[in-house]
Amino acid sequence: MTSMATPLETGDFAWRPTPRFRFLRELVHKKIAMIAIFFLALFYLAGIFAPWVSTDDPNYQRLTIEDRLAAPSGDHWFGTDGAGRDLFSRVVYSARTTLLFTLVVILTGSLFLGLGLGLLAGYRGGWIDAGIMRVGEVLSGVPTLLLMLAISAAFRTRLNDVGFWLQENTFLGDDARAIVPFLIIVGAALPFAWIGSARIVRSQVFAIREQEYVLAAETIGVSTTRLLLRHVFPGVLPIFLVGVSAGMAGIAGSEIALSYLGLGVDPSTPSFGTLLQNAGGVRTFQEFPHMLLVSGVPLILFFFSWNLLGDALVDIVEPRTYRR
Amino acid sequence: MSQGLAGYVIRRLLWTVPVIFLISVFVFLLLRLAPQDPIDSLLGQRYDDEIADRLRAKYGYDRPLHIQYLKYVQNLFQGDLGVSTKHGDFSVAEVVIPKIRVSAGMNIMAMILIFGLGVPVGVYAALVRGSFLDPLVIGFWLLVDAVPVFITAVVAPWLFALQLGWVDLTYEGVLHPNIILPVFVMALPGVAGVARLMRASVIQVSSEDYVRTARAKGLRERTVVTSHVVRNALLPMVTVVGLSLPGLFTGTLFVELLFGIPGIGREALQAVLGFDFDVVLGLVLFGSILFVLANILIDIAYGFIDPRIRITAARSV
Repeated sequence: MTSMATPLETGDFAWRPTPRFRFLRELVHKKIAMIAIFFLALFYLAGIFAPWVSTDDPNYQRLTIEDRLAAPSGDHWFGTDGAGRDLFSRVVYSARTTLLFTLVVILTGSLFLGLGLGLLAGYRGGWIDAGIMRVGEVLSGVPTLLLMLAISAAFRTRLNDVGFWLQENTFLGDDARAIVPFLIIVGAALPFAWIGSARIVRSQVFAIREQEYVLAAETIGVSTTRLLLRHVFPGVLPIFLVGVSAGMAGIAGSEIALSYLGLGVDPSTPSFGTLLQNAGGVRTFQEFPHMLLVSGVPLILFFFSWNLLGDALVDIVEPRTYRR
Repeated sequence: MSQGLAGYVIRRLLWTVPVIFLISVFVFLLLRLAPQDPIDSLLGQRYDDEIADRLRAKYGYDRPLHIQYLKYVQNLFQGDLGVSTKHGDFSVAEVVIPKIRVSAGMNIMAMILIFGLGVPVGVYAALVRGSFLDPLVIGFWLLVDAVPVFITAVVAPWLFALQLGWVDLTYEGVLHPNIILPVFVMALPGVAGVARLMRASVIQVSSEDYVRTARAKGLRERTVVTSHVVRNALLPMVTVVGLSLPGLFTGTLFVELLFGIPGIGREALQAVLGFDFDVVLGLVLFGSILFVLANILIDIAYGFIDPRIRITAARSV
């Protein structure tokens, strides 16, 4: 990526931006990427501050005829659904579900498992590497959606009792019932979430491991953990971020797909999957187009922004094929 | 070469044995340890302990797990994937194969559409690089890619069937013109990926020495692009084609659900929801084996297309 010649070799002691700064600077220069980041920030902020952004309780039902399936109006910006629930609030809370799910899966799967296993495999090599990569190969070989469905279906009924128990015996109260299905789909996504980032990190580590500064650190007896975190990790970071950003949309999509099929989050938790499922088929769309549009358009923009951002990031990391 | 290739393929195939074994054990346990079994969902409201016990004995679900697994493997080696409890004891193969045919037929058409659109779009974007058209074209397809199938599968029929009346929505078989719309919906999200890869590949190839030579010897630009750039740029597409092969048989759940097509995706969902043990396990194993085979096929194909890439038995698998 960058030339690894040190100032000592080149005799050039002037300050130069480090790769990380260059990375950010080039990103800022891309207008499309900035628009994408702006929209994503809007989306995620709406999710974080859902209780303040939303105009109504997302689960409050109004069962009178005129309040059900109402088109967008001043009272209900996005209209209401079949149970008279305010769709704007439901969309905002769905963004929160998406945010929570991706955050948990990225932190545990891509970051903790993926980065950890990737660093370990790349740095240690040998049978540790072979073992980790074989397991990854196994998991990337199985039909992902089918297996996620099977995991979700298998644990769903069993862990329902756990939800009831938590509700009765812990401070979680009513939230407990929603947390259990959430954790089930996190568990269903985890086995597949680490593979991509582990592969990227591993191949980067292979390249960085032979660099002189890593050899130097090794020679003066730096411990393996410190070596990985202080010397190898920063070099891997940009590519790792590109990999994670490429996976974000997919992870969010898996929750939405599972919820759409009724095997995702608890029905009381608003999710784009359940919103789109409620928006129904062709006939419902003919009669009540607002149901699909108000949840569909934000979701499309969300995926589109990640696509654009991913494209821009690849641009920066691989300028050879992409510089415009 | 052939010796190295044979050794390589054999090594890869040997690796798949423990891999498939692990997957089968995992899925087997996942299904059997669930609190529900096919009998529960089969009887449903009419659940009766005595009938349930008789049925469990009939299918062998009352035996210890390891015996059940060994029995399954034994049957597997005799080409017997078990029976579908949901479908009145039809064998898994009888239930699954007609549906896989439907899905595969649609997927092949979708794939032709994806490459038929994606390759020219990618080449075009690469050729107009530097102008505003390049990001515009790629951006458009990225937007198309961002639309989830379960939105397109509602809006497209509404537009083309209900509003314009161009097509009919009933499913009349894979070869009936009504299939065009679902195939189109399936293909749309795939175009951006192929176009992007093709674009990158064309740009990379354009800076090769042999392209400069072709230009230097005075070939027309058109000839340079078609017979020197594009032909070589198609090479990485082999991987994409290869990797999408297993997907051909696993079906596309959402399109099948929303268009009412009796494909394998829908069958898989119903099997999971009804805990139809043998069907789920069979489909997972089938998908995994296809994936492994596709990967081996890609490596072999590379060896034929680009003789510079030699596969040796020494290459780590």
